Amino acid sequence: MAYDRRTLFTFFVAIAGVATAHALAPDNPAPDRAADTSPVQTLTTASGEPSPELKAKFRRPDSIPFPKANPFDAAKAELGKHLFFDPRLSSSGSVSCASCHNPSFDWGDGLDRGVGVTGVRLPRRTPSILNAAWLSALMWDGRAATLEHQATMPMTAEHEMGMSLDGVTQRLKKIKGYEPLFQAAFPGEEIRIENAVAALATYERTLVSSKAPFDRWIEGDEAAISAEAKRGFLVFNGPGRCSKCHSSWRLTDDSFHDIGLKSDDIGRGKFAPPSVVIMQHAFKTPSLRDLRLTGPYMHDGSMRSMDEVIEHYEKGGKSRPSLSPEMKRIKLSKQEREDLLAYLGTLRGPPLQSESPRLP
Amino acid sequence: MVFLKSICTALFILVAVHAAHAAEHTLVMHHMELQPLQMTPRVGDVITFDNQSDMTHNLYVTYSDGTVDNLDTQIPGVKRQLTIRVAGPAVIKCWIHPIIRLDVEIAPPADP
Repeated sequence: MAYDRRTLFTFFVAIAGVATAHALAPDNPAPDRAADTSPVQTLTTASGEPSPELKAKFRRPDSIPFPKANPFDAAKAELGKHLFFDPRLSSSGSVSCASCHNPSFDWGDGLDRGVGVTGVRLPRRTPSILNAAWLSALMWDGRAATLEHQATMPMTAEHEMGMSLDGVTQRLKKIKGYEPLFQAAFPGEEIRIENAVAALATYERTLVSSKAPFDRWIEGDEAAISAEAKRGFLVFNGPGRCSKCHSSWRLTDDSFHDIGLKSDDIGRGKFAPPSVVIMQHAFKTPSLRDLRLTGPYMHDGSMRSMDEVIEHYEKGGKSRPSLSPEMKRIKLSKQEREDLLAYLGTLRGPPLQSESPRLP
Repeated sequence: MVFLKSICTALFILVAVHAAHAAEHTLVMHHMELQPLQMTPRVGDVITFDNQSDMTHNLYVTYSDGTVDNLDTQIPGVKRQLTIRVAGPAVIKCWIHPIIRLDVEIAPPADP
């Protein structure tokens, strides 16, 4: 069999074509950040008002989602509430879940970084647990997939509550008043850590932000927020680019992004292969519901004011391969900044009332 | 020259077999959803991941043997291709958006 030059030429052209096609494959990824090809979103009506379609994206849901594996039960939530406020779940007997997720600080702690039983400052800021029922990944780096799983983590972290799960179980068994609470929630079962975390998760799912002025406006009450805040809503969804990540009724996409903060903490990157560059320095988008306008902000509490936050987004963050493609420099006028802050203020509803339980 | 002929013949056969049996599928991303595939893909088939959403994604496929193929970052409008490697149940997820998930059953390769 013999090949003439034309046949060989055709063959090598074909091989070159195959090679080009393979360049598209994941083995040879070619990051492309040059163009923002996002479809243009209809932000306003002809009269310049925020469009109904845009507003509909922020409408509150009607009910709380509970997983089939751990459905709502009032006795379970009541047990969970007792456990949530009980400092005896920590090694020193002085730190409860509510110590860091304090109702008086919108279920956070108001600190730049949390502090637990050892007094050592934790590496990250305490997030609020309001609206945790809707979370699909928990902790700043997403290392817990469910509230049930998450509930065990602070208990066993050395500098948070410093206990072992067996230690928690043994301690609960020694407190006689817990027996009837567990029996009401889990009839016929002995006190087990699995039931304790199921109860904690159930209680936490009941903690939902109160209806805010923004919600009333979304529902049609035009007088619920100011004209300034309405303009701020358009800044939020338009030139501010905030809604690229702070989307949905909770103002978060429950996703992970590197926003270019100067930090050695690689966040989600610790749980992804090094080849997944986009997860290096990536942290979960926090909700802006009940945002404390006094700060601190960011996963590490490194920013003290909203002006500092806006300035960060104006500069676009530290440039590095993992920087989220959603991070593009923005430029806001003084008026737009003021409007944006007015809008963010409308996301705060009345504080969620929660009476501390009398512990057994 | 004989060696070159042998190599060319082998490659011709490989390309021909690939063309005869590998099917192509397109999986479209809409916002935070993956549109299910219309047909069951086979090992050797090529899936084009088409990001028609308004956000950047980074999908990855976890096969039944635990191995993973990473699709890398896809800004809106970008397509990436992946040749399916392992039969059995596979899961397609997004590193950036953990809420995204599509379960796919992958059939063994077609008989030559």
